[in-house]
Amino acid sequence: MVIRKTIKEIIILVGVSVALALAVNTLSPRGIALVGQWDIAAGVITARPAGDSAGQPKEIDSVARAKTLFDKGDVLFVDARSQNHYGNGHIPGAVSLPVGQFEERIGSFLNHYPPEQPIVTYCSGRTCEDSHELARFLLDVGFTNVQVFIDGFPGWEAQGYPIE
Amino acid sequence: MSRFLSTDFRAGKRKGIQLNKMQQSIKNNSWIELTARWILGITFIYASLHKIISPADFAKIVYGYDLFPEMFINLIAIVIPFLELVTGFALIIGLYPRSAAIIINILLLFFITVLAINLIRGHEFDCGCFSAGQSGYTSSSEVTLVRDVIYFILGMQIVLFEGHRRSCFGRPAPRHQ
Repeated sequence: MVIRKTIKEIIILVGVSVALALAVNTLSPRGIALVGQWDIAAGVITARPAGDSAGQPKEIDSVARAKTLFDKGDVLFVDARSQNHYGNGHIPGAVSLPVGQFEERIGSFLNHYPPEQPIVTYCSGRTCEDSHELARFLLDVGFTNVQVFIDGFPGWEAQGYPIE
Repeated sequence: MSRFLSTDFRAGKRKGIQLNKMQQSIKNNSWIELTARWILGITFIYASLHKIISPADFAKIVYGYDLFPEMFINLIAIVIPFLELVTGFALIIGLYPRSAAIIINILLLFFITVLAINLIRGHEFDCGCFSAGQSGYTSSSEVTLVRDVIYFILGMQIVLFEGHRRSCFGRPAPRHQ
């Protein structure tokens, strides 16, 4: 019967797709975990890479702690968002280093700051992984003290802390 | 007066039948069927590639619709692109074309529902990230919705088509049409 034949074909096509999907996701270096981290309350949302999460930068998961570091004054805040976002408002004294333009900009950044410079990266909060990516890039080029402020600019602004 | 009415009525009826004939000929036109298969096939393969290359970005887009349980977001992001790829490929080579079109139309109904729900409740997700802007998801929900409806109609032609399908995998073309 036509219907039975169609159902059989659909099962084959879906089966091949699922098998292929899982195989490619397992083998690909860009594969993701089967279950991601999508709970805002638990931290930054992320699909999670399939491999282990070693080599992740340290996180600052409270705005108050970020403010304490800010008040100490020796920490450099680095804004991972686009130039546009940065222009519309940022943490006072923060340097703009859009993660999408890292390669073009890192040269002059390296000229200005020594590798031991304490750095805190941030972006648009817990729905945004750009600050993590930027932190990994900075660690890769030799900076030794890099942390991620995960609540980012929206978290900072919501507390009524100064912006510029 | 009654004569006019009855002529009008009959004319209308004839027109109705002609329209049906036209629909029939569209439905069973094998060139339209082949074109529809190629358009859907290429579109779905193309659409799947971005998502296959960066599953993490696609997962975030799935999250952004704010409709799916956290447990399933990654699985949806892993499997859907390959459903698109495999069915798109099946349509182009003509392997199980009706079944592939049924799967594609189920996917399209799913996309249309998701987009419509979020348009109606005014939900728009902006993570403020770089990756989202770079992955080629630039058109508005409205445009995507209309496009999906058109694809769905093309898919229906393939599903409802009765007759010999052109250039299908594993089946010789008939001598005469």
